[in-house]
Amino acid sequence: MGRKEGAVSVEVRIPTVFRKFTGDRSVIEVEPGTISQVIDQLETQHPGFKEQLMTDAGELHRFVNIYVNDEDARYLDKLDTKVTEGDTVSLLPSVAGG
Amino acid sequence: MTAELLVISPDLVQEMVAHCLAGRPNEACGLLAGKDGVVAKVLRMTNAAASPVRYALDPKEQFDAYSLLENEDLELGGIFHSHTRTEAYPSPTDIRMATEDVPYVIVSLARDPAEVRAFRIVKESWTDPEGEVVEVTVRVEG
Repeated sequence: MGRKEGAVSVEVRIPTVFRKFTGDRSVIEVEPGTISQVIDQLETQHPGFKEQLMTDAGELHRFVNIYVNDEDARYLDKLDTKVTEGDTVSLLPSVAGG
Repeated sequence: MTAELLVISPDLVQEMVAHCLAGRPNEACGLLAGKDGVVAKVLRMTNAAASPVRYALDPKEQFDAYSLLENEDLELGGIFHSHTRTEAYPSPTDIRMATEDVPYVIVSLARDPAEVRAFRIVKESWTDPEGEVVEVTVRVEG
């Protein structure tokens, strides 16, 4: 799989809670890579977004779930999960209470 | 400032309450799909916490529901859950764990008939443990 400069082919779906960090956009396109690299691209496009998703320790915030297509990234390779052209990455806040 | 409104039909209220009653003794939960503050659909979900004092949407069901919203061009209009023995008001846990910026609808089964109220839990940052509770007026009509 060759590296395509400028290829924009992974869709990231943004839930309502994060849209204030994306200028109200619900879908953002990024280049293929690992989930970590996808998050870095989100930060480049929308500075300040990464700290919403990650803790200071560099881990995914526990209230955030990430899906690659219809698979939970926790059950794949977590932040090292690779996403390729045509994949959809979905960010989901956990919904819970008492 | 006018209070925010959540408009829902009597049939959909009944569907939501029925799901909550069926979930007893545990709390029940689900999502409301809609558009511009008008609920179009009740999405009944599994309480993955399976507890009388906690609820958690099953992440896979939640993912499927969000995909459905996308495909049907609907918005997340609200998140509902039941309180089996307490008032229809956000508990400290509800406030601490609130993430989505939509009305949280609470169905209290402590009353008969069930009481339905809605609230936004406003946070400076979505991960804040504290938030301001602002009531959303539930208007049953249609």
